[in-house]
Amino acid sequence: MNIFWHEFKSGLRSLLIWSGVMALFILLSVMKMAGYVNNPEMIAVLKAMPQAISAAFGLGPFDLTTLEGFFGVMFVYFALIGAIAAATWGSGVLSREESGKTADFLLALPVSRSRVLTAKALAALANCLLFTLVTGVVSALAVQSYQPEAGFYRLLVLEMEAMFLIELIFLAIGLMLASLLRPSWRAASVAIALILASYFAFAISNMSRDFDFLKYFTPFKYFDAAVFLREGHLDGTYILVSLLIVLASIAIVYVAYPRRDIYV
Amino acid sequence: MSIIEVERLTKYYGRVRGIEDVSFQVEEGEIFGFIGPNGAGKTTTIRLLLALIYPTRGSARIFGKDVFRYGPEIRQDIGYLPGEVFYYERMKVIDLLKYAASFYNRDCTRRMYELAEYMELDLNRRVDELSYGNRKKVGIVQGLMHNPRLVFLDEPTIGLDPLMQRRFFDLIREENARGLTVFFSSHILSEVQRLCHRVAIIREGRIVEIADMETLIRNNYKKIRVVARDVDPSYFDLPGVTNLERTDHAVHFFYRGDINVVLRRMSALNLTDVTIEEPTLEEIFMHYYQRSES
Repeated sequence: MNIFWHEFKSGLRSLLIWSGVMALFILLSVMKMAGYVNNPEMIAVLKAMPQAISAAFGLGPFDLTTLEGFFGVMFVYFALIGAIAAATWGSGVLSREESGKTADFLLALPVSRSRVLTAKALAALANCLLFTLVTGVVSALAVQSYQPEAGFYRLLVLEMEAMFLIELIFLAIGLMLASLLRPSWRAASVAIALILASYFAFAISNMSRDFDFLKYFTPFKYFDAAVFLREGHLDGTYILVSLLIVLASIAIVYVAYPRRDIYV
Repeated sequence: MSIIEVERLTKYYGRVRGIEDVSFQVEEGEIFGFIGPNGAGKTTTIRLLLALIYPTRGSARIFGKDVFRYGPEIRQDIGYLPGEVFYYERMKVIDLLKYAASFYNRDCTRRMYELAEYMELDLNRRVDELSYGNRKKVGIVQGLMHNPRLVFLDEPTIGLDPLMQRRFFDLIREENARGLTVFFSSHILSEVQRLCHRVAIIREGRIVEIADMETLIRNNYKKIRVVARDVDPSYFDLPGVTNLERTDHAVHFFYRGDINVVLRRMSALNLTDVTIEEPTLEEIFMHYYQRSES
């Protein structure tokens, strides 16, 4: 528990900053939403937009003039921000001991590497959980003036579940990269590059059926708001795939980190 | 039972040599000096013994247990003062020490305050406000507050002012008298000479000598200086003579062997002056260093 609380406190500043960024993003989006939701002129403009362009922007199947449609478009940004934050936390909990040269202090104490790992991973997990909660709560509060109905809340809960799963994936990948790469602080930038590549794969797979196969390689496609908005639930197969990715990454971490040569 | 048993321990960083075939034992209650120039492999050896890095081959046991398998367990009774001390910058010293103390299966509080007072360490400062020397003091308190059976000191005096160095040496002697085994790594030979009972000399990753401090200094070598008119250094080129050189009227050399042989040689000369001294550890060390270079 001592390591967990120490790690949680060390990561609190980062959690607050990311939460602030997310809250700002939601508030600005909701302000912008005033121009779309229930605005007949906007309906005409959107209808005139070529299909490929609207697909590339992720607008495709969403009706931007409804609260649900607007938040359907927002989901991919929630997922993107969540993924980057989670990858940063996952790689950061491990790599900051080496970049701050404190690894010799911590790992020379009477504690096993796997216990250190568990505490650090749980602290990063707590960050992801709180970050998702903040995103959901701020979203719900921000749209109160639109008097959202039960359908909106159902969608919001689905989005937060999907966001959390995507965070889990990139948290695990961040941990894995930090335990494998040398120096370990390269892990954050590699993880973010991976996230951006996944995002572009997602955007491209939306634009044309020819690139449909890309959907297997991008977690953003596993939980596509266009699909779960229509279906009313997350895709069970992809939940399984996500959990398998997480388990495989974590297994690698528990093999690699205890055997790692620590250099400071 | 030896406290530390190291057998043919070898570490390569990729292709770069860390240490090679290092073997030694440290006995309970001993202050064991580990000396060598920077880059010789002193820190590599200590970090292997703490299982921060893993060996290419060879084995190491502390308290009779394999350090790579039972690391967490044996580290309950080990203290470590690294050469360069790094802590979480934004923490207060007291919080940092309490955090470290929380890992031990005993209460460290009283000893922590005693040591901090003795080393004149202000516990309420933040780590990032501390000078190099003050960080070192935090390291000393952290390394000893849990009353370990064995402590690794890696270049412990760097950054400490002379007064604190003396206090620190007194502290180590006191703890040693109470049974603490000390592994003292340093490139400053005078302090090793002051403190250690036994010493290993490491050079380019290999142990070149392990000996009692007394034996090393008293019995092995004599430092001889002969002043005489028209004496050629080659006159003393006998078996056992090394580092033979001439300055002005004097001839200097190290001698190891039967002292009568050299004295007989000298008696044939018309001497102005002669001194026969025990060399300092520094000179012995330089001697090892030069010999293996040539």
